Amino acid sequence: MTKRNKKMFMLVGVFMCLAMLLAIAGCDSKKPANGEEGTVVKIGTVGPLTGGAANYGINVQRGVEIAVEEANASGELGDITLELISEDTGGDWSAAANAFTKLIEIDGVDVIVGAVLSSETQAGGPIAMEAKIPTISPSSTAKDLTKGNPYLFRNCLSDEVQAAQLAEYAVKELGLKKFAIFYTNNDYGVSLKDAFEAKARELAEVVAVEVFMDGDESFKPQLTKIKESNPDSLYIAGYYTEAAKIAQQAKEMGLNVQLLGADGLCNVAYIDIGGEAVEGTYATSGFYPDDPTPAVQNFVTAYKNKYGEEPDMFAAQAYDAAWIVINAIKSKGPNPEQIREGIAATKDFPGITGKTSIDEEGDTIKDVIILKVEGGKFTRVR
Amino acid sequence: MAVFDSIHLFLQELIGAYYMQLIILVGINTIMATSLNLIIGYTGQLSIGHAAFMSLGAYCSALVTLHLGFPFLLSLLCGALFAAIFGVIIGIPTLKLKGDYLAIATLGFGEIVRIVCLNLEITGGAMGLRGIPKKTNFVWVLLAVLFTVFILNRIIKSRIGRALVAIREDETAADSMGINSTYYKILCFGVGAFFAGLGGGLLAHYIRFLHPKTFDFMKSIEQLCMVVLGGLGNIWGSFVGATILTVAPEMLRSVADLRLLIYGLVLILMMRLRPQGILGEQTRLAPFFSQKIRNLLQKRTRTNT
Repeated sequence: MTKRNKKMFMLVGVFMCLAMLLAIAGCDSKKPANGEEGTVVKIGTVGPLTGGAANYGINVQRGVEIAVEEANASGELGDITLELISEDTGGDWSAAANAFTKLIEIDGVDVIVGAVLSSETQAGGPIAMEAKIPTISPSSTAKDLTKGNPYLFRNCLSDEVQAAQLAEYAVKELGLKKFAIFYTNNDYGVSLKDAFEAKARELAEVVAVEVFMDGDESFKPQLTKIKESNPDSLYIAGYYTEAAKIAQQAKEMGLNVQLLGADGLCNVAYIDIGGEAVEGTYATSGFYPDDPTPAVQNFVTAYKNKYGEEPDMFAAQAYDAAWIVINAIKSKGPNPEQIREGIAATKDFPGITGKTSIDEEGDTIKDVIILKVEGGKFTRVR
Repeated sequence: MAVFDSIHLFLQELIGAYYMQLIILVGINTIMATSLNLIIGYTGQLSIGHAAFMSLGAYCSALVTLHLGFPFLLSLLCGALFAAIFGVIIGIPTLKLKGDYLAIATLGFGEIVRIVCLNLEITGGAMGLRGIPKKTNFVWVLLAVLFTVFILNRIIKSRIGRALVAIREDETAADSMGINSTYYKILCFGVGAFFAGLGGGLLAHYIRFLHPKTFDFMKSIEQLCMVVLGGLGNIWGSFVGATILTVAPEMLRSVADLRLLIYGLVLILMMRLRPQGILGEQTRLAPFFSQKIRNLLQKRTRTNT
């Protein structure tokens, strides 16, 4: 009996702890929103801060944080202060729907920078539209994402644009003729593959299209097939971990091809893992951290000082997205509707990821940067 | 249906869209957990592919809405029946297996469904399925939960339910008593899958976007956690488990980084201190609480004197 009592006590203890946490959470969220006074504009960010894609979400959050701090410190917005609220999705779209609703209903945000993954933005976009809260994603590249949603924008290269431009560059500048495409089976890989294949078929020849899964270790069966078709180049539509392993295994098998890729490869880890094998890779990117222009270098220094590491493309695009929002507040006003108009009117914004305009669909128009791996470093070739 | 919408909107005005969304997700998860409880808790068949049935129902109902323009109720039924058919088809070969083997087989089935959804053109493949109209609201979910709990409760209290429990306790003994254990196991798999499909259909028409990644192994495990946390073989327990595991991660948002840590800790402590689940295997909520209150009162009087 006493043993049971002890157990019950501990159980009750656990529940009381949980209840207290819930109570704290409840108090926190019930603070009155003072956005109506016109002095505080709340910016929400949504993205994976935990789980497998946490890297992307954390970098996005940091990019936005730096932009918000800069804007608040500079006093450019007069009596308007920006407040940042970040929500985690764990990389799951139904959690993203919760995060969007929470930010809009409970925190009363005026604008959202997010979400990070395409599937998260797909789930959150309609919620933001219903609530008439403008949303700008810094990294969701899926096809037609912003179509039919006047409140949804994005600041990143769409998969179609970057794949098509690289195909054109490969044919016209590098003189490649026989392409093999190796893509990862998710929304990112599929839309890159579709766009690259269409453009490459138009200009030259596609001899092989193979598929892999995220997290695969061995790519030799597919690479063997690719080798048989005798291509002169291999376009890898995927992320850096798998791409680096593909490059290594291709080299081991004696498959000597020009490696091509998209922004998923543009991470130092691609070179760290791939080593010699990835030398000479051409990849499209939205950001080049060694760009000597002062705006880029200021951001890189601020980021390094604050977080102790070099910013990646996600952080840079998020930083630009946040500045697009800040400029919209400056030019049109602090209400969600005014911010929406401001974002939609963005034209030739001189961001650190290049000159950016927003088209009538809410999509981005910007230059595609092409990087090449040379001597164990990314260098800009266009 | 317009009445449903206005009731939903009125309640949403009252409590806010965020809490409304939480309530709806609790409802959907309750359907998932109770239907899984029938398979695991009452019949004792360890199935870890419940999310697969959910995805079958979700995709099927979303597709008939999108392409055939079915009314909501009919598309929900289509999804649920589609999942149930698969439940039976999968049940026939796999339910001859026991324990760990069945778990592995259902795990494999879950992966197959996910990979098929990822590669089919009609499901939107890796891009996901979007543009599903929003039809699920509070009233629909409430009705669906009541329907699920009512039907499951009737099944459990009937001859079928007794047979299922007998199979759980000792399959050989049940067989020797004249219970056709294979038939009952397949029946319970079909019924469980039916309600899982119903839950999936509701989710599809609520979030308006489907992606195969969500219905992966971890989703099945999450649903298993709800059942075990609430109490195996207890319908009310599944409701409690679904509520806690849906609300806790949301409420813990304020502690950001510690969220998953606390979530995990609660699960571990629960299993350590109360392995039979919060409610344990008791069939009614009311006696459970009255018993606890009586215990507390007794203790109070004892300490007072």
